[in-house]
Amino acid sequence: MSDHEERLAESLSALMDGESTELETHRILKEVGSTSSATDSARSKWQRYHMASSVMSGDPVAKIDFSAAIAAAIAAEDSHRINPLQQFAGAAGRFAIAASVAMVAVLGVQQFNDVAPSNSDAVQFAEVTVDAAQQNNGPAIQFPSGFQPNIQARTVSAGGNNKVSQQPVAPLIQVRRAVNQQYSEQELRAYLNDIILKHSSHAALNSNQGMLLFARFTNSDERSSDE
Amino acid sequence: MLVKWLKKLKLAALIAAVFVHGPLFAQQMDSAYDLMARMAKASKELSYRGIFTYEFRGNLTSVKVVHIVRDGQTYERIVHMDGPEHEIVRRGDDMDCMRASDMLLRGSVLKINDNNYSHLQDFYNFYIRGDTRIAGRAVSVVNVIPKDKYRYGYIIAIDKETGLMLQSVLINGKGKPMERFQFVDISIGADLNNVEFTPELSASDDIDVDQSDCLKADQQAKVASSQWVPKWLPPGFVLSSFQPIGEDGQESLMYTDGLAVFSVFIDSDEKSGSLPAVDANLGATVAVLTKGFFNKQRYAISVVGEIPRSTAREIANAISPLLASPTP
Repeated sequence: MSDHEERLAESLSALMDGESTELETHRILKEVGSTSSATDSARSKWQRYHMASSVMSGDPVAKIDFSAAIAAAIAAEDSHRINPLQQFAGAAGRFAIAASVAMVAVLGVQQFNDVAPSNSDAVQFAEVTVDAAQQNNGPAIQFPSGFQPNIQARTVSAGGNNKVSQQPVAPLIQVRRAVNQQYSEQELRAYLNDIILKHSSHAALNSNQGMLLFARFTNSDERSSDE
Repeated sequence: MLVKWLKKLKLAALIAAVFVHGPLFAQQMDSAYDLMARMAKASKELSYRGIFTYEFRGNLTSVKVVHIVRDGQTYERIVHMDGPEHEIVRRGDDMDCMRASDMLLRGSVLKINDNNYSHLQDFYNFYIRGDTRIAGRAVSVVNVIPKDKYRYGYIIAIDKETGLMLQSVLINGKGKPMERFQFVDISIGADLNNVEFTPELSASDDIDVDQSDCLKADQQAKVASSQWVPKWLPPGFVLSSFQPIGEDGQESLMYTDGLAVFSVFIDSDEKSGSLPAVDANLGATVAVLTKGFFNKQRYAISVVGEIPRSTAREIANAISPLLASPTP
């Protein structure tokens, strides 16, 4: 069983127990909804799990698959012609812009305060252990310089219900567009850059690190592309 | 007559005992703190050049730094050694300009208002951790541990000979290192008088030197004539700089406790109305952007600093106009 399938199986059982995260639920729905080869196993697993739980709880077991009929009925409805998942993916894609701003490599739009370094030397240096839960869980990607783009995009939704989705792979900033609220990713980036630079100019005069702290503004790879 | 004299003597002895005794207890603490104070002075007044590394989340970058004091003015340039060419230059800062953090780091007690004072040692504990070697030089390592959860801690290595800071590690509330600045090579004082100080690279940024925030010797922290006031601040932070509202509709207030610095930016709706409320970070610097609705107007209130995100959020939520009318 591949890593992916294993995780999917775990997510499936979590969903059955009503304990899956929003991200997991989306992943499962995507798997079950797509038509790749892994789909069948996800779909049949889902059926098998339910059958097993029915058997255990003594409910009658019937192997009838309503899903195709239900899917067709949903598709026939006007408001559901477009898969909302695809719509979300499209919106997210449009707003996922490569990190490219003068001086700032990656401004991670994130929600958690935890920035425990994954570098073992640094950990040893401070004579502390980093517990596994604090480590970045995403695939370890080595960058020659600059920041490790472990980015958690914060979703801004109309209901004030903020969710976090983790995108540890690509150096992208993902900000989902809030309903009824238009803003440009570039504008947000420029604004954050501006205030962080202003802060740093002041802090350089007012902290023991002095100009050293401008080392944070590393890797200006894309400064020309943005100006 | 003799009895009276004896009484006075007793009192004097008692006072003397208290004064002599105190420093004995606090000796270790004092010497660590003295090192910090010495460092604050040295980092300003010495000329040096060298290469240091910056590490964040396991990624390393190296930077060249030149710091020159000439005719009472400091000149500083840093050049990123990795990736695209880039340098940052700061010219002509008055060496004698004492800012809030200089005062606090050098042991002053800053008066915030009639009832409140800020003193670095009230908010951090200082311990000497031991001696080691960094960039080929003997250093003393000082642990700086915050007394509350509103600020980060530091591990700072200070050159024994000159007092310069050769390493600084930021430590979060869980005792884990977050980022590290460390010199790998440095030459101090020698033969820097002839160094020309003009920008070398085309990709050069000149950083403003704001000397309006120099403090006089009366040890009174600045008072902002700001339209905005934080209803809560983490204890020990004093105003170190204030920029009144400019053409861009932005007003800013900057605070320090001597080690940590944070800035508050208040933007009118025209400039920032379309921006969402988000959190971001650059290295250990966090930026929290929030939206406020006061006096029938919308504002963007941002807090940026090397402080825990929770502190930044609390500060952002506590910013309100001086003359607030109840929101409908």
